[in-house]
Amino acid sequence: MIDYKGVDFSKILKRYDVEAQNETTPEAVAKKMLPADPVLKNVAECVLYMKFKDVGPATTEALKTHKPLDIINKGLVVGMECVAKLYAEHIYYLPEIMMAAKTMEIGIAIAEKQIPGGRETKATVVMHAAEGDPHDIGKNIAAVMLRSSGYTVIDMGKDVAVTDVVAKVEEVKPLMVTGTALMTTTMTAFPRAAEILVKDGVNIPFMAAGGAVNREFAESFELGIYSEKAPQTPPIADKVLAGYDWKRVRDEWDNIVGGA
Amino acid sequence: MAYGSADEMVFGTAKQPVSYGFGIKVGAGRVIPELNYAPRPGKEKDPESLRKEYVDYIAKDALNRAVTVGFPDVQLETEWVSQMGNPKMATPVVEGQKAICEKFHEEYGINCAVRQTIPDQREAEEGYRPGMGGKHAYPEALFQCAEIACENGADVLSCETLGGKELADYAVTNGDITAFLFGVGYLGSIDMEYVWSQFVDIAKKNKVVAGGDTNCSGANTSMFMAGGYLDNDVQRTFSAVTRAISAARTLVAWECGASGPDKDCGYEGPIVKSIAGKPTAQEGKNCQCAHCDLQGNLIAQCCDLWSNESVEYHPEFGGSSVQCWLGSIGYEVSLMNTAIQCGQEKTLRDLYMISDRARGPEGYILAYDNAYQIGKAIAENGDNIYLRAKAAGLTAAKLIKGGYEGKEIQLTNKQLEVLDVIIKDLEALPDDEDKFFEYCDKKYSELVPLYDKKNYGL
Repeated sequence: MIDYKGVDFSKILKRYDVEAQNETTPEAVAKKMLPADPVLKNVAECVLYMKFKDVGPATTEALKTHKPLDIINKGLVVGMECVAKLYAEHIYYLPEIMMAAKTMEIGIAIAEKQIPGGRETKATVVMHAAEGDPHDIGKNIAAVMLRSSGYTVIDMGKDVAVTDVVAKVEEVKPLMVTGTALMTTTMTAFPRAAEILVKDGVNIPFMAAGGAVNREFAESFELGIYSEKAPQTPPIADKVLAGYDWKRVRDEWDNIVGGA
Repeated sequence: MAYGSADEMVFGTAKQPVSYGFGIKVGAGRVIPELNYAPRPGKEKDPESLRKEYVDYIAKDALNRAVTVGFPDVQLETEWVSQMGNPKMATPVVEGQKAICEKFHEEYGINCAVRQTIPDQREAEEGYRPGMGGKHAYPEALFQCAEIACENGADVLSCETLGGKELADYAVTNGDITAFLFGVGYLGSIDMEYVWSQFVDIAKKNKVVAGGDTNCSGANTSMFMAGGYLDNDVQRTFSAVTRAISAARTLVAWECGASGPDKDCGYEGPIVKSIAGKPTAQEGKNCQCAHCDLQGNLIAQCCDLWSNESVEYHPEFGGSSVQCWLGSIGYEVSLMNTAIQCGQEKTLRDLYMISDRARGPEGYILAYDNAYQIGKAIAENGDNIYLRAKAAGLTAAKLIKGGYEGKEIQLTNKQLEVLDVIIKDLEALPDDEDKFFEYCDKKYSELVPLYDKKNYGL
């Protein structure tokens, strides 16, 4: 082997990841965001630090003194918002998101039981991976992020037939529908599904995403909007919830996903 | 180990070269460009459209360009689109690609062949093995595809099998190295043996070369999510260790009798080549049409085929996309073969390797000297699919730690923290395979809803 001991690697490559790493601690970021109320703070910290064994007892304890909706919205959800902030600042990574979301869901499930008629979420989103496509890891991550942002997700899984997608959308009338595809020949299912929906008078955004999909393709068919990566899905959903139709999402896409 | 030392490993030469197609000799002293492509959306609408796309446009364009710029060899790789599970869609493509290769070989003397990579559409929830009652009958279709490919003109049979994927997805998204070891290293190896023993029989029956596999669905998912310096989903130390574990699984196809070359997207190729001496296909700097990685030069160090991964067929300024990317891989191969002819192959190999050695942990463990060490750890554990996969992962993790402490490679604090957890987790696992299975079976039955041991005959 060539002797490379004297090689100055900084002349060959630059480790931007090492140079730019965020030395801030989760505690420092969360300090400004956590609730002042000690009971709610305890619940939020369970989510923030992914204490999925502690969140149940903490939520049960909180229910003795606080309303279930407050525990959810001012405790568990705030904890998750801290996690999202830490993720955006490269302090937390995907595994922390997944574990924190799981922790939050445990707490929500306990608190929800005390709410007559259950908790209302922001809206429902139907998700699927295209027919013939067995790859759905991106969709699964986006589903966790949507749930963490307060949406109900109907996850139809992978390899879902166009007719099944259309039937589900027409049955539950969601805020929007998403489809992911990793192959150029499976993503063609999206315009086919959208065409039927349009014909049937359904006018909701059809988010197309996944390795094979690009913005040009996603915006090539009626209803189609694009998501490049999973964290972009909640902010887009929020805009749809705020009244944006699929055309306006397309027009303002760069601004909507700018921070995601 | 097929090689007495890491230094014996170099691009273009394998201990067990393989010949097939129209004059192709892989691992026999020169590197061969392997072009991979995808049809334009919509071309899957009927058999004639698909045949025309793959044969009259893609294959013809590529072979024309190879002749135009004087490449002596070219291998085409067709990764079947899902619609080719239907024999009416697949057969004309396979037959047509064989015929056009023969025509160019006869007309110009160019050495050429086609690798047919069949799709594994099996789903854990429907069952991985024939007869498990899934509504799509994907396991049955998998073996039918192998028959169709081999009966109609494949030169090399390959597949990107999915065994262990349900655990790998969970492992990567949750940062759980034990889940990856269980899913890919253990269950994946069981599935590979089941599938590849049958693929080898089908290939032999039809006088086709059984090439090999890749852990695309596991280690590549991990690598892509780990991404580059601006990404923050998966730690690159985690991804590097998953790569090492995946080598123990990819090796199984060759142990079942497949002769190589393995699949281009299996970045674990240098590790498995060090053990078995069979030719490996690799991809890196010239596959930017498909994805970016952090070892674009390094991974060329020991390749026998050099690939572009995949490009959608479309026009570019320099011709069609397949022509442009064949030019890209073909000229790189030409440089490698020039180095071989000038007796400078080890120098070029080392330059490739050194340029990416410190770029990231995955490249670091794939550098041929480190890949060889991981290969040895696998070989020392023989046929025990659990212990060898664990040894591969632990060796890789400790190599990175050593490289970090020796100031050869930098790590972020988070990468180091995750690395330490990986070492701790792997060292805490039992040495006994049965105990490991018992532990994982219980744990992941609860955590991973799609996990079903029946998919692995357990």
